[in-house]
Amino acid sequence: MHAPERLHGLRAVSTPAALDGARITGEALVLRIASDELIAFGASGIAVDDPYAIVEAETTFQMWELTPAEFAEHVVRHVEWALPAARPVLAQGLVAGVAVKLWLDHDRVLLIASSGLVHEVADRLGVPA
Amino acid sequence: MRFALDDRPVDFVDGDSIAAAVVRSGQHPQHGGTLCLAGDCGNCSADVDGIPYTRTCLTPAQPGLRVRRHPAAGGPPLRLAPPANPVQSPGQPTIEVHRLRTDVAVIGAGRSGTAAATEARAAGRQGLVLDSATGHDVVGVYPGPLVIVRTPTHMLHVDAHEVVIATGAAEVHPVCDGNMLRGIVTAGAARMLGERGVDLGRVVAVDIAELGRFEGVDGAVRAVVFADGRTEECDTAVVSSVTRAPRDLLARMVADPAVRVVGSAAERFDLPPCPTEGVVCPCSKVTVADLDMVWNKGFTHLELVKRAALCGTGTCQGGACMPHLRSFVTDRSGEPAAPFTGRPASRQLTIAEAAADVHLDPWRRTALHHEHLALGAQMDRFGGWWRPWHYGDPIREYWAVREGVSLGDVSTLGKMIVTGPDVVEALERIYPTTIADIRPGRSRYVLLLNERGHLLDDGMVCREVTDDGSDRFVLTFTSGGASFAEAWIRDWIETWGLDVRVMDRTISLGAINVTGPLAGELLRRMGVDEPPKFLQHVHADVAGVACHVMRLSFTGEASFELHHPVVHSVELWRALMEAGRDLHISPHGLQALFGLRLEKGHVIVGMDTELDSTPRRLAMEWAVKMTKSDFVGRTALARTADLPDERRLFGFTMDGPAPTEGSPIFVGGEVVGHVASSFASPLLGRAVMLGWQKHTPWADEVVIDGRIATVAHPPFYDPEGARARS
Repeated sequence: MHAPERLHGLRAVSTPAALDGARITGEALVLRIASDELIAFGASGIAVDDPYAIVEAETTFQMWELTPAEFAEHVVRHVEWALPAARPVLAQGLVAGVAVKLWLDHDRVLLIASSGLVHEVADRLGVPA
Repeated sequence: MRFALDDRPVDFVDGDSIAAAVVRSGQHPQHGGTLCLAGDCGNCSADVDGIPYTRTCLTPAQPGLRVRRHPAAGGPPLRLAPPANPVQSPGQPTIEVHRLRTDVAVIGAGRSGTAAATEARAAGRQGLVLDSATGHDVVGVYPGPLVIVRTPTHMLHVDAHEVVIATGAAEVHPVCDGNMLRGIVTAGAARMLGERGVDLGRVVAVDIAELGRFEGVDGAVRAVVFADGRTEECDTAVVSSVTRAPRDLLARMVADPAVRVVGSAAERFDLPPCPTEGVVCPCSKVTVADLDMVWNKGFTHLELVKRAALCGTGTCQGGACMPHLRSFVTDRSGEPAAPFTGRPASRQLTIAEAAADVHLDPWRRTALHHEHLALGAQMDRFGGWWRPWHYGDPIREYWAVREGVSLGDVSTLGKMIVTGPDVVEALERIYPTTIADIRPGRSRYVLLLNERGHLLDDGMVCREVTDDGSDRFVLTFTSGGASFAEAWIRDWIETWGLDVRVMDRTISLGAINVTGPLAGELLRRMGVDEPPKFLQHVHADVAGVACHVMRLSFTGEASFELHHPVVHSVELWRALMEAGRDLHISPHGLQALFGLRLEKGHVIVGMDTELDSTPRRLAMEWAVKMTKSDFVGRTALARTADLPDERRLFGFTMDGPAPTEGSPIFVGGEVVGHVASSFASPLLGRAVMLGWQKHTPWADEVVIDGRIATVAHPPFYDPEGARARS
């Protein structure tokens, strides 16, 4: 397992309907973190049919890429809520008391935390800082 | 095979529990009291290998164990760990939590439990049986339902769709004169000891209904006196009863339709006769006389008797005393008394077990954390963040702000972008200040009030116009109040159904405050040819980093907050420090900042304010426009405007050192309030304070720390604000 990698992307806030039709430029991992908000890591542009949409650069998140075995060893026992069964899927919540995002894919799990909490995640889960 | 009991060897045979071995040796695990040896009472609990209150009847004897009896009176001595360093990570928890999910969790592996598990499996449901005998000691059931289990190696949390409690029923302990002697066992305990070949000497069996009292010599039972007056001498008295006590403590912990009780645990047994003498609650040594005393004082409900007499609050949580306590209350009140509420934990836990996988709130670091450490900062926790308290010399940091230029890490401030067709309407309703007249490129200080007109938070509102001409506002909040403020604003917008977009930028943006009379000069060196004027804000590149530059002042000097993408915080900080080297630039920590702002009389929400602080109490009515038609809190402020108010935050000054924050404020020998903030001002040469007077008439002169202090209206420094605007 490697130290976390900083993620660069764009964050957008708009109406749910407008975000459903958002056009994202670049090869991006798109996380719909709320009905009215998404983060597109790796995106170079987001076009939304909403004159009031807010689109800003997002550089605060860092990511660990885990194998399913590493995920089971380091993370699962600290999750007090039911992990979704579907893949790929976004899950958000407290893990070992720290707010994180989990991108659960078929062959990997991305553990994503804001940079201000990376030290807490590393301390509590035993992953490299 | 031997273990040590109070440092003396005790022999045991394979399969003995500690308690059985102790009885085999002719002793008692405590100093007396009926032994059930089934885990229902606390009469065999002892310190085992340093863990107090261990039920020795459920603990297998092992060679080398060190068992120590608790004192006859009082509890075992507390062993305190060395004090932890509050600014260091507490480290990893030492006991792991494993989690399981199942359809049906069955507690108890007896006949009813086995039947319930079989039934579940027959229906195609996953069943998990938990029983102490197999190392699964259930200590609590919570809504969910969630079952908390202690195992020899870890804690187990079981999320189940259904919980079946099949814990059976316990034997009833005798309550009579002499019931705390050694040598009294229940019938079940006697049977088990007999099967293990333990010699009980002369045995007399007695049914509780026929029991009069026990007589003893040197703390050991020597005779059973029956209710009809007969006396039979013995070495062991075996007590039986036709009635029993349901083991339903776990069921009484939670009202959840997914939790059901089956078998004997669900039965309603007759209560034993009302006790007249003896110890009812052996754990807390509560006698019938104690119960009568609290009853006669007016505690005439079972829950009240429990709390007043502590009956049922000990090791066994009512396992031994509950039937007798219910019988007592039923007898005195004439009404059937239901059992008291159960609460986890049903078994004694170590602190480490109880805290397993419980985490402290996380504390965020700003992107500049390691820059601060490299500069010698003493870090501390404030508002959910690690922040530099000082860099070794807070007075030097203070003077750097007052006389030169200094940097402060204010990345922790709450930051939010709001837009939308209804954004002005929303902000007008949320804030007590007028918003519509803020011109683009300008900003305004704002209070955030709740419906009662009490201060929740404060910050700035910055207005700008997007390329297509629509309004966009940047809001800031205090570091500690940001999360709540965001939720508060989102909630109101949703409640009102307004069309507004909200993006929280708190963790996404760093912020560096460049402050001091030379701050403008430093910005010009960094390429900002025309730094914004007071309460203006611009977007500009600073050292190649795109920044939102806000001109304001919390320190009392010219200040520019540079909000920027958090990934660029370190390069921006280093560039500023380098460019300001010949200006003797230095960073300042919170200690200096708190003093600087106090000289200006600026309030810190949560430090100087209280939960019910209104703008009037804070002398901040200037920040409220009651001429507005409405805003959150306006109705309350209007209703209370003409009412007298005895609370007011004042400024004080006095000679000498600053008193401790929190010091009482005296008038005529009476405490009238307290000091909220204090600072020994290097520039003014005296202590300046903010503090509360909560009695009228308000005094102009008070006593703090044994010295005379006088009321002085802030700002204490630069009252015209010329330096902040320069």
